[in-house]
Amino acid sequence: MNKMKKTGLASTAVLLALSLAACSSGGDKNASSSPSASGSSQNPSASASSAPNKDAYKIDVFSMLSNFSGEQQGWFAKVVKDKFNLDLNIISSNLEGGGDVKFSAMMSAGSLGELVVFGDDGQKYLDAIKTGMLLDWTQDGLLDKYGQNILKYAPKAIEKNKANFGGGSKVYGIGFDVGEDKAGPSEAKDLTYHPNLRFDLYQKAGSPVIKTMEDYLPVLKKMQELEPKSDSGRPTYAFSMWQDWDGNMMMNTKAWAGLNGFDEGDGFNPGGFTLISADKDEMQGVLDEDGFYMRGLKLYYDANQMGLVDPDSLTQKFDDVTNKMKDGQILFTWFPWLNTYNTPERLAEGKGFALVPFQEERTFSYGFNPYGGNRVWAIGAKAKHPERIMEFLDWLYSPEGTTVANYGPEGLAWKLEGGKQVLTDFGKEALPSNTTPVPAEYGGGTWRDGSNQINNSTFKITSINPETGEPYDYNLWSSTLAQAPNKLEENWRAAMGGATTAKEYLEKNNLLAVEKQIFTGTAPTVMPDDLTQKQGQVAQVIKQYSWKMVFAKNDAEFEKLKKEMIAKAKGLGYDDVLAFNKEQNEKVFAYRKQ
Amino acid sequence: MKPVVSTASPLARGGRGIPDRYRLFLYALPFLVLVFLFSYLPLYGWIYALYNYRPGYSLSDTPFVGLHWFRSIFSNPTQTQEVMRVMRNTLAMSSLGILTSVLPVAFAVLLTEIRTLWFKKTVQILTTLPNFISWVLVYSIAFMMFNVDNGLINKLMIDLGFQDRGVNYLATDSHTWLAMILWSTWKGLGWGAIMYIAAITSIDQELYDAAKVDGAGRFRVMWNITVPGIMPTFFVLLLLSIANFINNGMEQYFVFQNAINKDHIEVLDLYVYNTGMLGANFSFATAVSMLKSLVSIALLFFANRLSKWVRGESII
Repeated sequence: MNKMKKTGLASTAVLLALSLAACSSGGDKNASSSPSASGSSQNPSASASSAPNKDAYKIDVFSMLSNFSGEQQGWFAKVVKDKFNLDLNIISSNLEGGGDVKFSAMMSAGSLGELVVFGDDGQKYLDAIKTGMLLDWTQDGLLDKYGQNILKYAPKAIEKNKANFGGGSKVYGIGFDVGEDKAGPSEAKDLTYHPNLRFDLYQKAGSPVIKTMEDYLPVLKKMQELEPKSDSGRPTYAFSMWQDWDGNMMMNTKAWAGLNGFDEGDGFNPGGFTLISADKDEMQGVLDEDGFYMRGLKLYYDANQMGLVDPDSLTQKFDDVTNKMKDGQILFTWFPWLNTYNTPERLAEGKGFALVPFQEERTFSYGFNPYGGNRVWAIGAKAKHPERIMEFLDWLYSPEGTTVANYGPEGLAWKLEGGKQVLTDFGKEALPSNTTPVPAEYGGGTWRDGSNQINNSTFKITSINPETGEPYDYNLWSSTLAQAPNKLEENWRAAMGGATTAKEYLEKNNLLAVEKQIFTGTAPTVMPDDLTQKQGQVAQVIKQYSWKMVFAKNDAEFEKLKKEMIAKAKGLGYDDVLAFNKEQNEKVFAYRKQ
Repeated sequence: MKPVVSTASPLARGGRGIPDRYRLFLYALPFLVLVFLFSYLPLYGWIYALYNYRPGYSLSDTPFVGLHWFRSIFSNPTQTQEVMRVMRNTLAMSSLGILTSVLPVAFAVLLTEIRTLWFKKTVQILTTLPNFISWVLVYSIAFMMFNVDNGLINKLMIDLGFQDRGVNYLATDSHTWLAMILWSTWKGLGWGAIMYIAAITSIDQELYDAAKVDGAGRFRVMWNITVPGIMPTFFVLLLLSIANFINNGMEQYFVFQNAINKDHIEVLDLYVYNTGMLGANFSFATAVSMLKSLVSIALLFFANRLSKWVRGESII
């Protein structure tokens, strides 16, 4: 019944929107389509064609990064429907079986859907290419006809895919986060990782100095005592974790390596059992006794003994954690993008999360990468209308598409003033991902639920939008920067010696480890089958024991589990896999020097 | 049997009939086809154990490795231990399952003794219903009752002062086998009793009347008439469940598994799923799952022996 109502609403909304689109975004659209039209003489109407000429087309978007499963809802669904008459049915491997279950099932069935998003460009991407599951974009001149924006704004990313994966001529996909060709950290205000605390409580606790990562525990304990209950009266915890993103190891523990400048991937090879430094020729095995992973496990174990770990961590999903965060049940996060607690109301009261670094910190930072990162967009070989998917993807790789996919259509969260973007009142309320209700004319629902759920980016949003001359990221618009800081920001800036953003502070104090991006011209070496088998089994052991160790009852049990984990992992071939990983990582160290 | 079939034969209707032996075969044919489709055809899948299969590739494109995966079960001591652990869990939980198979018998006997009709019906309906709930939903019920933040049990325990903070009851490895048996008993008790209730109603009423005339009390009647009356049914079902010893399913364990209880909850079917689907190692998982067939065949011969010894006739 609900669905009936929705279709009814949608069809009237489409009619309304058509008339709206004609006047509101007309100027904007011409601006973006004219350069592409001039580039492609054979098909000037490719990007200007609009929905009514096309039949409704429901496409399966298989995303190995998405945390949402089902049909895209809300404002983004409406934008895509109006512009392309596409319905996005999102299939999320995180939620459907976890791990590679969904991928294996779809590969066996012989189709990966219409639009495919790979979490990395390793084994799975290579297998999909080899078995003919992915479409070659050069076939029938698809890319030339419908991919003018991609060719214009991300030529190097296409070049990389041709060289690495397409034997020099074919194109099967394009990497994410395509950026400009320059050095330095590519992040905006915040990084992907850095330790964030409830800053108001941290100050209440007397802003103690934090030297090592273990020093957070007593501080967090004090904060928990200061605020034992959340807004809805539930108990507060320092660490609330989730299992559904675990791959080769426990993701929430790996995060501590990220805070120390080490990550599972080296920017080229798929991850394994090594943690690789962003900027030095150093690596650690996951199970190294003095490595960051083991240190992270010990930290969580100690935290659990102090009552700082959410006992639900084992059984909950990422979505549950964001809800707890919103309610104020969590006092610490590794990831600034998880700060759903920071609503405008709370920020105005001076409450919220902000960076509280530790002195030994070396936060992992990703450099700009004109070749695109390793999360890949691809098109399924069995797609009925590949040209329409290409058109959609091409739009995502256009300035207009990037802006709309992140911040919605013009007039909702932002508007143009003198050629520059400015947040509307709605935008100030809703961004980055609050549950602000969206007016029905824009698709209804809430801002957060209506956001683009594919969860893969196209351009690095800190790079410059050629249409406005400013970065895509709303945090870096001149209008946003000119805004008076909220109370939390004021307090934080005063405490941090005048730094205005987390990135600025970390950069100034030399707490960053920037990963150099490389271009290799070849695909990563594929792991032999018997090693893949070993890796699969060892990963299961490492994940299982990691969680057990965090929740161990006492030191003796913790040590016993640790010994068991190492013995079992080694018995199942951990060392062989590690040796292979190290060999591949060494190659990357050589590339970095070139 | 024969004369019945021959009187029904259409020979009388003009002689174009099919001879009896073919007729009987034709009757059986659809079922033979089903058996072939669902029991023999899947055996073709065993071939995957001989290759390095990767989803998406056709079998001919993947390398043939012979008995490599079978050898790898036993060549590596850690791997052998893993398989032994899984077998231990499977056998332990199956044995517990067989031990608890007397519970439906007792339940049926006691239930038939209830005289108030509406109460009896209500109890029977309430105990039979859980059988129709899928394991996924059973887990959601368990989650609602036992989770830390909103769970009924945690709230109760904290309010009553037995605990000072939430405990994640689902994430513990103590008494995992017992907990699993309790869940499956809760789910299957009423359903399992149906067969016995039917058996009890078919017991000759005169036996009861005679016993009462002889002065037998209620428990005496239950013990000496009802219980022996349903014993044949019990034994048939017991034999069937022994044949199914290793097939203790995976849904239940799949929904209840987590990192903490995995050591004790991973039964063979679940292990095959975890290594095959989650560990992306289909060939090895196929090899392990073939173990199951070996054990099943061994058990079948064992049950056959048992039957010969107890009843004097064999099943096969």
